[in-house]
Amino acid sequence: MTEKRHGVFGGTSSVGGNASVELLITHGVGLHARPSVVFTRLAKSFPCTIEIEVNRSGLWLNAKSIVKVMGARIRKGSTLKIRAHGLRADEAIAVLEALFANDFAEERPHVRGA
Amino acid sequence: MSGALRLQGQGNGCGYATGPAHVSTEPLSPRGDQVSPSLEFDSLDRAIGESVAALESLMAQTDPASADILEFQIEMLRDPVIAEMAAEQIGKGQNAAFAWVAALEEYIAGFEQSEDDDIRARAVDMIDIRDRVLRALEGMPAADFPKGSIFVGRDMAPSLFLAHDWTGGGGIALEAGSTASHVALLARSKDVPMAVGIGSFVVDPETPVLVDGDSGLVVVDPSHADIAVLAKGERTALPITRRSEPGVSGIVSRSAVELLVNISDISDIRSLDPHACDGIGLLRTEFLLSSAADLANEEKQFQLYCEMLKWADGKPVTIRLFDLGGDKPLGGFGVEERNPFLGLRGIRLLLAMPVMLRIQVRALLRAAAFGPLKVLLPMVTLPGEVEDTRRIFEEEAVVLADRHIAISMPAIGMMVEVPAAAIMLDTFGDADFFSLGTNDLAQYLTAAARDNPAVVDLYRQAAPTLLRLIAQTVAVAHDMGKPIGICGDLAGDPARLPSVIAGGIRQISVAPSQLAAVRTVLEQAGVDG
Repeated sequence: MTEKRHGVFGGTSSVGGNASVELLITHGVGLHARPSVVFTRLAKSFPCTIEIEVNRSGLWLNAKSIVKVMGARIRKGSTLKIRAHGLRADEAIAVLEALFANDFAEERPHVRGA
Repeated sequence: MSGALRLQGQGNGCGYATGPAHVSTEPLSPRGDQVSPSLEFDSLDRAIGESVAALESLMAQTDPASADILEFQIEMLRDPVIAEMAAEQIGKGQNAAFAWVAALEEYIAGFEQSEDDDIRARAVDMIDIRDRVLRALEGMPAADFPKGSIFVGRDMAPSLFLAHDWTGGGGIALEAGSTASHVALLARSKDVPMAVGIGSFVVDPETPVLVDGDSGLVVVDPSHADIAVLAKGERTALPITRRSEPGVSGIVSRSAVELLVNISDISDIRSLDPHACDGIGLLRTEFLLSSAADLANEEKQFQLYCEMLKWADGKPVTIRLFDLGGDKPLGGFGVEERNPFLGLRGIRLLLAMPVMLRIQVRALLRAAAFGPLKVLLPMVTLPGEVEDTRRIFEEEAVVLADRHIAISMPAIGMMVEVPAAAIMLDTFGDADFFSLGTNDLAQYLTAAARDNPAVVDLYRQAAPTLLRLIAQTVAVAHDMGKPIGICGDLAGDPARLPSVIAGGIRQISVAPSQLAAVRTVLEQAGVDG
């Protein structure tokens, strides 16, 4: 855990296999190398479609593609919206959101994503 | 003289060689064939797979913090999206290496242009990934043949010549071909005996073959007597070459005529004393960087150009942009044209393939910061081609400067090898200097293909026409106050050289093996020292 925090606007919503969340990225390093690996791997472990949108651009990208997620160039202060559609959509959003809340801490200490 | 099969062709004046026949069954230019999208995609797929495997074994040996970076690179390469980006380019007819570079270009630029330092730092990872896959793509060379063999075939691809190690001797016997072709030019510069235009014949692999580059004679299964005749007269045909060893150097550097060297192979540089010439007058980049992966590799090019500058030790190094197309269809370009010499070649091809051009331009701009580098544009026909290329140099200079990379804008000159350019030279004010490419100029003036033995005499006999055009062109260049040199075979021909000097040329660039002979002629003509 680090002292950095995430922010949540709006919270989750769920209508018949649809779920979404909007987050304000507060990490000093944004969503970079290591966090991107963790984020996309986790997204890939769910059967539902998961997409992200940065700064309400209207452009939805496949959250299971690290190439797309990196290409979104998410940084500190970015608004990140995640939406899921299909099987276990609610669960996917909850787990991904928790990832930000836990600062991408996994089984080992968080390594700066540089 | 035995009943050996004897065939007469044209020689290249580089002595004789004997050895077991290597009978070529390869198509002329395996890499020059039309790009097959499925094959290109397969090789990219394989290169990505190899890169992932290499990263994984690297990861096993590193500490966890470094492993994170490698893991990130592996994830990026495993993402099917990255291959799909390249597949789109391959579908447009690009080969694997260029499709790969082109697909990542915009993506990397997106990181580089960010205001966020951390995001900009990601560009380095992407460049690392890109270059690793490029190197993996490179690991598929054309089939080589044993050292010391006599290559027997219809014709020979320049890339095949360059990939072969000629230090063990050997020679070339071609059924077709011409002494004025590019592979002949390479053979001359490496002193490899060669006979061309010997006509169709059948020889079993490994059969001993003799090639006499002086007489153009090819003997299949030669007798001891055949070899003895040649061994006795060895090298008498080339007395001047004997003087080529270091020792007489230094005289030239103060001469009224600058004597420079044409480089087609990196080993030319390693065996040549830089004090034996006034610099590099023509670096044929398409021969030094002969695979598609090289053409797409900015870093490798940058290092090669820096190596040349270091060798030249303060003397000018003139680097010609990739002159692909014509009989040099390297890297899958210059594809299937009915008349490639009149088609998309030289600067035309580069301007039509800006991805490849911009990579080379960036490498040149970066190298120019380290020494007196000059750039030469091949096959220029119209002034607009020089202007368009200069604009690309300026655009890339701005991009590199924004990234705080050291650059310098080199002088940009042009080859004068298309008659239209020679005749209208006064309209090429945008070029900083000129270099006459007499091989192509002669071929286009005479409408006689230099690689067609049936018309090669026409090509040769047109020398007075060529000399007249050269004299006119040189006079115009002098009026414009711009330097003009010559880098074609005409300059290396001792018989023609005095007329060239009389025509006003004061800068001559020849193959390393011709330096000594040309110097001798210059001394005799009294323009040396």
